[in-house]
Amino acid sequence: MAIITICRGTRSGGELLATCLAEALGYPVLGREVIHKAAAELGLPVPDMTVALARSPGLLERGGAERNTYVSALQAALAEHAVDGHLIYHGLAGQLLLRDVPAVCRVRLIAPLEMRLGFLKHREGLNGHDGEAFIRTQDRERARWVKLLYGERIEDPALYDMVINLEVLDIEMACALVTTLVRQPEYAVTERVRERLRDFLLACRVKTVLLRAPETAGLPLEVRVEDGRVEVSGSAPALAGGETGNRIAALTRTVEGVSDVRLKFEWFDPYP
Amino acid sequence: MAIVTISRGSLSGGRALAECLATRLGYPCLGREPLREAAHRLGAPEETVRERLEVPPRRWLTDTSEQQRYLQALRAVLADHCARGNLVYHGVAGQFLLDGVPGVLRVRLIAPPQARARALIAAHHRTSRRAADAFIKRTDRDRRRWTRIMYDRDVEDPRFYDLTLNLEHLSLSAACAAIAEVAVLPRFDLTTDDRATLTAMASACRPASPDSPGEGR
Repeated sequence: MAIITICRGTRSGGELLATCLAEALGYPVLGREVIHKAAAELGLPVPDMTVALARSPGLLERGGAERNTYVSALQAALAEHAVDGHLIYHGLAGQLLLRDVPAVCRVRLIAPLEMRLGFLKHREGLNGHDGEAFIRTQDRERARWVKLLYGERIEDPALYDMVINLEVLDIEMACALVTTLVRQPEYAVTERVRERLRDFLLACRVKTVLLRAPETAGLPLEVRVEDGRVEVSGSAPALAGGETGNRIAALTRTVEGVSDVRLKFEWFDPYP
Repeated sequence: MAIVTISRGSLSGGRALAECLATRLGYPCLGREPLREAAHRLGAPEETVRERLEVPPRRWLTDTSEQQRYLQALRAVLADHCARGNLVYHGVAGQFLLDGVPGVLRVRLIAPPQARARALIAAHHRTSRRAADAFIKRTDRDRRRWTRIMYDRDVEDPRFYDLTLNLEHLSLSAACAAIAEVAVLPRFDLTTDDRATLTAMASACRPASPDSPGEGR
């Protein structure tokens, strides 16, 4: 059992690789469904969420809270599937959405432009300049999204365990490579990894709730979960009666599965 | 049957990977040996050839004809070895020297700088952490610059390799298993025509005898 994320440019064969891996390993495949699920969870239309994810935060929008909510919801939606211990994800930025999770096999697939144009023509009938423009726009958008959210270059090979170039290799060979890799002990989803996955899922859910609540949305909060114990840290205004702390703890406890909450805060005076 | 080239930064585990792969596949493993052979064929000191092929020329020196001559000689030696069939090569610029040669699997190995610095300290106990970090940074910068000058390419760009493996989470044995899986595929078999191409390439690159006028040192 293993968790595989496939990052690729538009029409670089990512979906084909995911299908081939699913046949070889018998794991479920996820792509855009994760965005749909996260959008449904937040009660948002999918296009709105996609646009908001790609938008830079405005000057008055503190810390990009809205976008962070969406990212957190995306992570939670992905983690819900990952806790089963077997998953092939070929959607947006899996290598970064699951970067705090151990034993994830992070694959990037690259292909020459001509090959990608061929895929595009075959699938959507787009060719020539239209096809090239479409590919470049999509690549730019993805790269921008990753840069905005994580400050990373999507092409940086250090973000992946393996980068496969389809210039010489083909999808079957790529499939054989990934299959061999995930059978290695470092990608085994052990009971310890499952625990970490459950903790990660819980942390994402708590983070989403805190980011959605108006009174905590603008606060720089960190959520850590270890063996089911939730720790919320950061800095918050010290209001009379410890109102903020109580509110954060109460919001955290609304998440299913939370029993123990610990707050680790630096309190500041909002009216110095 | 395949030719595997492994490109990597200093202390990234390239030699260990090459040896693992060579043992697993039963192929010969070459690192500095072709460079030594090329130096011998040219009648040049090995150290000079090594330095010219590893350290980029000074900024004010634009003439790279000496480096080109060494590269040609190295290409000839490599082509000779490749024409015999199986090979794992982890020496200088394999991916560029054998560019366009059929049956070549171009692998790039990367490792986190911290792990590379630790490997350097383990090998040289007197090296401080600071000196190790500086060494890794300097050799990476030199290699990037050398490749940019000689081939106008970025040595770290995954587009110039078939496979880039990152040892941050991946073990060396896992990387070895994955490469071996692909290297044995018929796609990387050398045909008779491929061998003829390699032999012709070796002849075309072979330097004239060091005794010939205008050659040698």
